[in-house]
Amino acid sequence: MSDTLIEPGADYGFMFDQSVCTGCKACQVACIDKHDLPLGVMWRRVPEYTGGSWQIDGNTATPQIFTYYTSIACNHCENPVCVEVCPTTAMTRRDDGTVFVDQSKCVGCRYCEWACAYSAPQFDADSGHMTKCDLCYDYRSDGLDPACVSACPSRALDWGPIAELRERYGDASGIAPLPDPSITEPHLVVRPHRDAQAWDRATGHITNPGEI
Amino acid sequence: MNVHDIPMVIFTVVSQMAVGTFIALGVIQLVLGRRHDAQVREHVMAPVTYAVGPVLVLGLIVSIFHVNDVTHIHNVVRGWQSSWLAREILFGLAFAVAGFAFALLNWFQRGSAALRQWLAALTALLGVGLLWSEAMIYYSLEAVPAWHTWVVPFEFVATAVLLGVLAVGAAMMVTTEVRARVAPPLSAGAAGAVAPTGDAEAVDAVDAVDAERDSEAAAPAASGLMAQIRSRIREINAPTTEHEWTLTVRILRAIAVVGAVVAVAIIVVSTIYVGDLSQGNAVARESAAVLSGGRMLVRLLLAGATAILLGFAVYRLAMTTRLANSRTLVRVVLVTGALAVSGEVLGRLLHYEAMLRVGF
Repeated sequence: MSDTLIEPGADYGFMFDQSVCTGCKACQVACIDKHDLPLGVMWRRVPEYTGGSWQIDGNTATPQIFTYYTSIACNHCENPVCVEVCPTTAMTRRDDGTVFVDQSKCVGCRYCEWACAYSAPQFDADSGHMTKCDLCYDYRSDGLDPACVSACPSRALDWGPIAELRERYGDASGIAPLPDPSITEPHLVVRPHRDAQAWDRATGHITNPGEI
Repeated sequence: MNVHDIPMVIFTVVSQMAVGTFIALGVIQLVLGRRHDAQVREHVMAPVTYAVGPVLVLGLIVSIFHVNDVTHIHNVVRGWQSSWLAREILFGLAFAVAGFAFALLNWFQRGSAALRQWLAALTALLGVGLLWSEAMIYYSLEAVPAWHTWVVPFEFVATAVLLGVLAVGAAMMVTTEVRARVAPPLSAGAAGAVAPTGDAEAVDAVDAVDAERDSEAAAPAASGLMAQIRSRIREINAPTTEHEWTLTVRILRAIAVVGAVVAVAIIVVSTIYVGDLSQGNAVARESAAVLSGGRMLVRLLLAGATAILLGFAVYRLAMTTRLANSRTLVRVVLVTGALAVSGEVLGRLLHYEAMLRVGF
């Protein structure tokens, strides 16, 4: 089993089910704990997206409001802009399609931080280097699932080769507050919340910017 | 204001000014080349050449400060096949090295004129590469609406041209003043040289300077490196002649026209830019808000003041000012240069602050 989880050419990615996520952030906490991340460095974050409008029907105005959560880490994109822009080649793509930071090369210029629309590369002030989700490469090498996936009480997260995930869960990923998926082609499948808004509709806003 | 941005503000503005100055020098040399002899051209333009290098080196050193682990700095060009940032660093270094080689050859008058010309052309090309890769660093980020636009390369080229021509103008003015102070009477510069002082006073101004230069040119063969450098400094510091002054103010008028046009273009494009952003998506509108405050107004006023000073004050003074009382013109050019630099620095700070990304 151990080598099947770091299979070359597998192009691993995440599935996230918005319809069952309660925004508890167990995934985020598990990630921070597993990787012993310093304060403020969060490889997985859970924005809360809220909006609403009134439906006017004669003299009756009915509020139509929505709130949903989206748990996001690195999507190990098909077209990883962080790898493209990195001047040092520290941002590296493994044979299995996952992207990690080679700590022996990173110079800490933070250019990848500007480039990624998912805020996946995060700066560690102690080392002066960038850090990011590597889809728990060490766990996978031992045949284990990534920490966030195992931690979710609602089973809202799954992972695997992106082709298999798409076959099983569909291929939605352009849901607000996520950006236009055509920019980087994320290895991400979202099972949409019933009120999910398209990425380009600008119908809501993130209500917990301090938490992400 | 984000402190993290300051090294990049200084580096981009300074490197663009260096590229602009070098190219402006090249263009002026080419235009003058048809009508004036090499010695006069050299005496008017040479001091400017040697001002570019130190400024660029300063910029390159400052740029290191935005890196957080200097011990890994040797890796920064490994990604040249895909990263515009790595390419920028390569072009920056190549531009500095080629420029330095050119300045050395020029200083010691080594190598044929053709070789030096080719080296200058190569340096200018590397400078264009530097400008282009600097702009692409920002333009290529699709997720940043304020940067993924033609306005970024425009702004960078505009900074290069405006500050480049003004740097040439300022350097010419400072040189005139320094020469007047170092050697008030024409003969003083010749005191330490082989040429007899008494004779120089007897002949007319241009001849005196020429005679002095001729004697200097003969000297290096016999003496060592330090003597060569000293004689070259004397040569550069030889007083500006009336003929050279006529040329200087003519160049200054051209600089005033080019600079004023660019400053006006900056104002027009900035206005269109903020207008376009405010029509865009939510993130673009937020960037437009960042760019619509009092600081943008100050930035535009600085560009406006630069345009007015160049188009009216500098241009007019450059028509009437005589060498003997060049002080006012010198001051006006320096003040205009300072205003232009302030405007570009403020504009660049705003460029970095407008960095808002789609997604989260």
